[in-house]
Amino acid sequence: MRDCFRFTAFLLFAAAQFAAAQSKPTPPDITGVYEIVSDKTVLPGGLKNSGSPSAVPLSAAAKDQMKSVDVKTDPALHCQPVGPFRMTAREENKIEVIPATNGTIVMLFEDLSRGVMRTIYMARGHRTDLGPLWLGDSVGKWEGDTLVVDTNSFNDQTWLNEEGAQHGDAFHLIERIRPILGGKYLEYKVTAEDPKALVKPYTYTRYYERSKTEIGQDNCVEDGE
Amino acid sequence: MRNICLGIFILSACAFAAGNDVPTKDWTGFYTLSRDKELGPLGLKNVNMDLDKTIIARLQPWAKAKMEATSGDADDTGAVCLPDGIFRNPPFAGRFLWLPTKDHITMVFHETNTAGVRRIYLNRPHPRNLLPTWNGDAVGKWDGDTLVVDTIGFNDKSWLMSAMEPHTEETHMIERMRTVKDGAYFEIVTVVEDRHALTSAYTYTRYYKKQKDEITENICGDEIQEWKDWHNKALKPQLERAKQVK
Repeated sequence: MRDCFRFTAFLLFAAAQFAAAQSKPTPPDITGVYEIVSDKTVLPGGLKNSGSPSAVPLSAAAKDQMKSVDVKTDPALHCQPVGPFRMTAREENKIEVIPATNGTIVMLFEDLSRGVMRTIYMARGHRTDLGPLWLGDSVGKWEGDTLVVDTNSFNDQTWLNEEGAQHGDAFHLIERIRPILGGKYLEYKVTAEDPKALVKPYTYTRYYERSKTEIGQDNCVEDGE
Repeated sequence: MRNICLGIFILSACAFAAGNDVPTKDWTGFYTLSRDKELGPLGLKNVNMDLDKTIIARLQPWAKAKMEATSGDADDTGAVCLPDGIFRNPPFAGRFLWLPTKDHITMVFHETNTAGVRRIYLNRPHPRNLLPTWNGDAVGKWDGDTLVVDTIGFNDKSWLMSAMEPHTEETHMIERMRTVKDGAYFEIVTVVEDRHALTSAYTYTRYYKKQKDEITENICGDEIQEWKDWHNKALKPQLERAKQVK
């Protein structure tokens, strides 16, 4: 009889745990291929792209530094990574989002040379043992139906924009990504912070449309030679 | 009473399992090529490690002549961080992320700039009128616990292995992929055939260990300008000569 009570207690506990897990909101399934919406497009509800990396509010020191930059050395012209801040605003951008079962969400870019692969870690905080990275260290969490991604540990190789604005190692991004209009679109909002390069945080918004097409093999050809 | 409790437990477990739609073949993870020293005690063995020797023995005369006229450095796109296909990476460097979705599996190679990404489509045949690409068009189907991957549609810009063995757009690759040792290792048995470049098909087997570590960022580019400078000064004449031979 005592065994039966233990069994019953175990079952009740398991059921409570299961119910608690079920009551947690399930994150939306954002798996898929998406293509950026052009700046001219207005989505239902008046939603449209806004802001641009070119409009970042640079500090005086950053403006001075930018004058000395040769725009021919832009990583984008040489098939090098441009970093998430510029990449996600690029025209004709096409991405694939893969939530994996190992606690990550992977974002792949069709323009692989410039965008590469981003891995968003959903089950850990920022690591302190990582060196400066081209794509930074990204950790994510779900806030309702919004994926909030926090990225730091950037190196200083990528630029803020094609005009040559530079960022430092304190560069920090917060991205808020959510499906809208029944999952037909992704809304992408990114806020960049850099106390040295920017006078204040700057946010731009882009919309991506879910696509039924496959991601192609887009091999970068250098433009700057 | 004990039997009743046991019955409740079993029914509950069955009900939970029935509602838990976990795929049976989830190979998600990061894998790296294993060496025979590690594999030996497990009864596993990489087969055909010296692929250059194997391939060269099968090259048709024109292909062998092209290989001999090719500068290993100057004609290696991978050395300047550009794509170099998928023939050389898996059997030699072999680090990849395996990411399944409902209708395709994505393999992301650690050397992302050069080997890039492969997508293995599970629900469609090869498209007609394929445009040649570095990594070809891959389709897969399950044969029991083995994924059989058929890849065609390669361009002829890549090399089969480090000695710069050429191939044509007719190259056909068949891979049998499965996990072994309770998912701890990933086995790929590969057959490569090309009726225009090879006298017969060649095959090899590799094992990749599932890693607990995260895949690290690996950007080929830090050294690119340095390489270009060296290339332009030292190897341009060789490159021109190689182009003339072709």
